[in-house]
Amino acid sequence: MHSHPLPEPSATMATAPYNYSYIFKYIIIGDMGVGKSCLLHQFTEKKFMADCPHTIGVEFGTRIIEVSGQKIKLQIWDTAGQERFRAVTRSYYRGAAGALMVYDITRRSTYNHLSSWLTDARNLTNPNTVIILIGNKADLEAQRDVTYEEAKQFAEENGLLFLEASAKTGENVEDAFLEAAKKIYQNIQDGSLDLNAAESGVQHKPSAPQGGRLTSEPQPQREGCGC
Amino acid sequence: MSEKDSSENLKGETSYEDENEQKAEELGCTGSNAEREQEVEPVPMTRKRPEPKPPSQPAATEKPAAETLKVSDSPAVQTGWGYWGSWGKSLLSTASATVATVGQGISNVIEKAETTLGIPSPSEISSETRDATRGSENPGASSTDAVDDGSSFPIAGALGVLSTISTAVQSTGKSVISGGLDALEFIGKKTMDVIAEGDPGFKKTKGLMNRNSTLSQVLREAKEKEEQQTATEVTMATEKKAHYGLLFDEFQGLSHLEALEMLSRESESKVKSVLNALSGEELDTLKEEVEQLKEAFSLPEFFEEEEEEKKGDEEFTKEVTELFSELRISSKPDKLITVRKSAHEWIAQFNSSLPKEEKESEENQEVESRDGDHDAKRSVEDIHAFAIRSLAELTACSIEMFHKTAALFLHGQKQEVTATDRAKSLSQMTIVLCKELSTFSKEFTTCLTTAGVKEKADVLNPLITGVFLEASNSASYIQDAFQLLLPVLQISLIEARTELSQQ
Repeated sequence: MHSHPLPEPSATMATAPYNYSYIFKYIIIGDMGVGKSCLLHQFTEKKFMADCPHTIGVEFGTRIIEVSGQKIKLQIWDTAGQERFRAVTRSYYRGAAGALMVYDITRRSTYNHLSSWLTDARNLTNPNTVIILIGNKADLEAQRDVTYEEAKQFAEENGLLFLEASAKTGENVEDAFLEAAKKIYQNIQDGSLDLNAAESGVQHKPSAPQGGRLTSEPQPQREGCGC
Repeated sequence: MSEKDSSENLKGETSYEDENEQKAEELGCTGSNAEREQEVEPVPMTRKRPEPKPPSQPAATEKPAAETLKVSDSPAVQTGWGYWGSWGKSLLSTASATVATVGQGISNVIEKAETTLGIPSPSEISSETRDATRGSENPGASSTDAVDDGSSFPIAGALGVLSTISTAVQSTGKSVISGGLDALEFIGKKTMDVIAEGDPGFKKTKGLMNRNSTLSQVLREAKEKEEQQTATEVTMATEKKAHYGLLFDEFQGLSHLEALEMLSRESESKVKSVLNALSGEELDTLKEEVEQLKEAFSLPEFFEEEEEEKKGDEEFTKEVTELFSELRISSKPDKLITVRKSAHEWIAQFNSSLPKEEKESEENQEVESRDGDHDAKRSVEDIHAFAIRSLAELTACSIEMFHKTAALFLHGQKQEVTATDRAKSLSQMTIVLCKELSTFSKEFTTCLTTAGVKEKADVLNPLITGVFLEASNSASYIQDAFQLLLPVLQISLIEARTELSQQ
């Protein structure tokens, strides 16, 4: 059967399932085979997907997380890494609040391509988009090809958040998504991210408390139709 | 139960209010009691396709404008629309999916109901959509057009309106999928009232397109409205399980639609810049080719008669697989086929378990216990929930398939098939998908009528209407998504030409 990366199983839908105040759009970018889809799968399903097919265009995942007591729905766009899709995937960057830029610590070439990915991310998103650099496959220490220190330095030079993670063991996967969300939320709090900007990548949803709505939408009237 | 029986059943139920009163009298209840009971009866959520419409404009002046738009495909009327130029023409074909949606029957019923209810008809709405798409170029255009039309269209008077619409729908030659939705015609205006009132997103969504929104935005906002509703009114079992909009989003239908829109928009602006850079003969040739491709996007008409009585279970799989292979892309419609198959199996299982259940419910009927009543009720609601879920999932998968197809068209590998051939296969695919949705709505409503023989009409009818409406909406979404592929294929076409000229 098909599986859907649902944040909550439908059985729990009865208990206030849609209570979140924000939606953040994320994109995951980086070379083919660095484990973008696996990171997403680990994050949404808490499982390692050993045999992952190439992504066509973009795939999606959602999960609701909590930052400073606020429920946030992450709408994650997992883009195809294949070079031939590059032109297509560029179309998807727009309106991202966060970007996970992933490389494989065991393959230096994927690290070397980061500047090109970063250029795209900077050019195609808004200036407030939070970019986090992820060195994936941290479990493969023996095959390491990129040191933690140099990646850390690259991140600092370019104003990126940075973490090494493993989609296989789950190490730091949660944090990667959360750190970016915290930073975005912080930007909202200190006013540097304008929620009304068209491409902020953040939607604010006034949550509907029990017993009354914040919006003054009148209840549907059971009135006649005047005919 | 045969088709005829179920239709008749529906017909009988249109006057459910009278029936209820009668029942109430028989049971010795007072009329007011019966009324109150009806009030508290949870009205299952039925969602209407989100439709844009500025609330400020009176429907009366809008109506004739919509008329003209519909028929303006015919050359005679076109002259009056020189105003729109080629722009208007291209808009017409884009909007056609919205205008000529599934089920002439259904749209007629809706239009009738909407005329009386003062709700904008689908045709008006599409004219609004077009106005909105045009941006603020001609803010006063629609009212001017309305006046124009009044003079040039004497038939479009008060009485001619509906018949003109239906002929217009046919004469445009756009796809009119009338299969299986006839039954809705038997459902009375009362049900339509229920739909209009019970739809939380409806009032809100009416004005949305004014802000140049895309379909996915409109759907997203309608869904959010539903979310709010669900969050505040957690008491109704049906509502939680059967929210089409929420489910469609859960199955990532909205996301794929949004992604497809992004690809479509980007392609559209590329096409424009290519055309702008050309001139003279070169421009004319390309323009002509682009027009030809557009023609492949007018869905051919098809007739109910073409459908065999009982299509084999394998037929859909075979057809879709074949059409998909014609596209020559490195992807298969496996997910769609799986989803469709599991829904089909559910129905088959339901039907095979039927005789036993019927017997049981008869026994319950004799005892007339509250428990028995409750069980029966849950079962129709389960069917309804499953139907809505399946429709949402099938639609999401179809849109995902179109999105993936667009991505693969754009990735710039050498093309083995022409853009026009691909367009033809895709338009055929759209029809197969819409037919399938129509078949599903028929099957699900048959399940509902069978399981709900003992149900009150005001319980059963909204459920049945809901299934038909969502099936109709689903088909519209699929047709709209198909239209989004046009600029993508235009880019393919342009790229293929460039490749050719470089050789």
